[in-house]
Amino acid sequence: MGFDLDVKLAIYHHFAETGVRPSPLQIGERVGAAANHVLDVYHRLRSQRVLVLEADEASIRMAPPFSGVPTQHIVKAGNVSYFANCAWDALGIPAALQKRAVVHSRCEQSMEPLHLEVGLQGPEPSDWLFHCAVPAAHWWDDIVFT
Amino acid sequence: MLFFRSEDLVREWCRGQNIPLRPLVRMDQLWGLAREWYSTRLQPDSRRPAPAEMLEIFARLGLTGEFWDPTSDTFGSAKS
Repeated sequence: MGFDLDVKLAIYHHFAETGVRPSPLQIGERVGAAANHVLDVYHRLRSQRVLVLEADEASIRMAPPFSGVPTQHIVKAGNVSYFANCAWDALGIPAALQKRAVVHSRCEQSMEPLHLEVGLQGPEPSDWLFHCAVPAAHWWDDIVFT
Repeated sequence: MLFFRSEDLVREWCRGQNIPLRPLVRMDQLWGLAREWYSTRLQPDSRRPAPAEMLEIFARLGLTGEFWDPTSDTFGSAKS
């Protein structure tokens, strides 16, 4: 499990430092291993629901709360911009980074922009709402849809 | 998992998508969820809450009822 944990932490720290997904080669450089060994770990982490991979089985789609692909939920913290997988994860990024951030998103019905400042103790007062269409027991049936 | 400006707009969206209206979550509750799930995510001991822990977290945040019951989620104890 030591190597798996090293890879997992390397993935998360790459996201935190850069805002974008790492390649297996980049993770291999961080942990001192070949990319094919890193990919083996990717697959184990996927089975544990730590990662969601693209169809190529090598590119990270999700390392929650970080998204490996552009989304409507953008989080800016310091000089780094991040994509979040969903509204929950948009607040999850400042929580994970333990940094002040600004969340840029939108109302899904009216398309009104949301700009929400998030401090170390949470978001500024806001009467916006969060809605999840999928019950908790089924979130991972199709996590991309959820 | 989406943001909405008001309850009326959530209802409009649900009608348009033919999706049932689900429990609405305030921003302070959402922050509680985000903090519980992700505040240790960059640390070695981070893990995804187990189903029983999820229920406790939801209840503590005032999120109760069948919608928030993850007990059929058998992967809940996996580290994440």
